[in-house]
Amino acid sequence: MATIDHNGTSYEVDEDGFLLKGADDWDENWVDYVKGVEGIAEITDEHQKVIDALQEYYKKNGIAPMVRILSKTTGFPLKRIYELFPSGPGKGACKMAGLPKPTGCV
Amino acid sequence: MGYDPKNPMEGRITDLGPRYYGDMLPPVIKENKGTWLYHEIIEPGVLVHVAENGAKVFTVRCGSPRLVTVNYVRDICDIADKHCDGHVRFTTRNNIEFMVDAEEKVAELKATIATYGNKFPIGGTGACVTNIVHTQGWIHCHTPATDASGPVKAVMDDLFEYFGSMSLPAQVRIALACCLNMCGAVHASDIAILGIHRTPPMIDNERISGVCELPLAIASCPLGAVKPAKATVNGEEIKTVKVNAERCMFCGNCYTMCPAMPLADPEGDGIAILVGGKVSNAKSAPKFSKLVVPFLPNTTPRWPETVKVVREILEAYAKDAKKYERVGEWAERIGWEKFFEKTGIPFTEKSIDDYRLAYDTWRTTTQFKYTSHTAAYTK
Repeated sequence: MATIDHNGTSYEVDEDGFLLKGADDWDENWVDYVKGVEGIAEITDEHQKVIDALQEYYKKNGIAPMVRILSKTTGFPLKRIYELFPSGPGKGACKMAGLPKPTGCV
Repeated sequence: MGYDPKNPMEGRITDLGPRYYGDMLPPVIKENKGTWLYHEIIEPGVLVHVAENGAKVFTVRCGSPRLVTVNYVRDICDIADKHCDGHVRFTTRNNIEFMVDAEEKVAELKATIATYGNKFPIGGTGACVTNIVHTQGWIHCHTPATDASGPVKAVMDDLFEYFGSMSLPAQVRIALACCLNMCGAVHASDIAILGIHRTPPMIDNERISGVCELPLAIASCPLGAVKPAKATVNGEEIKTVKVNAERCMFCGNCYTMCPAMPLADPEGDGIAILVGGKVSNAKSAPKFSKLVVPFLPNTTPRWPETVKVVREILEAYAKDAKKYERVGEWAERIGWEKFFEKTGIPFTEKSIDDYRLAYDTWRTTTQFKYTSHTAAYTK
């Protein structure tokens, strides 16, 4: 288990850089940290919309939304989501939103 | 331009797909593509294809361990450079095929291959035991119940004589998967080696909230054994799951979805043997493999119990089956009760299907043969 320090706050993360404690540790500063590692220049309203949609869905349902649901609720097609998060909705957006690391045969 | 981590999208090339296969064909294949007339197996491991215009291509097939180093690949390239103008291919069972366009070149090619000792054993054609399609095992995967490369090496060592000969009634496909995700061909192979667990998952409540999407873990269970639950961690109530051990059949699906539910166990884990599957449509329709040995221990590094059972099945089949008959066709013709008798495998209740559509697999006829097994049951 590794710890990441960013602007004075430390976060417990796994080897892929996902928050181990999820929503308990998540804050705006974490978004700022992931922004750097994911190669995102600036967090726009569109980024924020995706993050909010993920967090809201996760809080309500206990799982990350399916890609099609994320597209439908945000109104962004998958292509746009990749433009916003180059690593994609799982490794990029979910990491930034503090959701658990996607599992299964990925 | 080198990759710039600050600017990951800069100069990024994507969606190119694989190379066009036509770019890598040997000239004789390229020229005669779509005009092949017939083929022959000249000897074990050596094929000839004859085209309409009389052109011939000779193929020498060699076994490979599938998991190989770059040095091993360079050795393959050296052979291909020396004899095949730099062309080589891999088969769907991970054998290596060297192709030459004249018969006299075959002997030279074989001589070069022989200088590598047993690195590139020639064989794998016709009614033989060819390469074992297998998975990652303890080399790389996190859900295995057994190793892949180890048992494959042990089984192929034991059956090596069948790789370089064509003495069986039909080709025998052996496959291995290290858990019942069955990556590969276990569900449809003549003889299949499958890693299985025998203990339910252990739930790590300290980690579960952070790393698991609980509804996914619950939905992953084919028997509905995983249920939501509450637990107390450091004086705090958290949401977690519980597993009804009576319902759990140790598939490990929940661990695939949830890292806080590991179930691997050195004593409990082992190997099951399935037989009788096939994918071809020849004579009979494709078949699923069926469970005949429910459990064999993981005896590293040579898995002697597994090796022994596989050989027993193969030898009973080789002795008894008719020409062209696959293992599954043989077992269905003589009846599965006879299969168990001829192979000497004890029949256990674990072979009796009890999952949803199980009824259709039971015997709803009086047609059966008395065997030593039925005698033992009716005593």
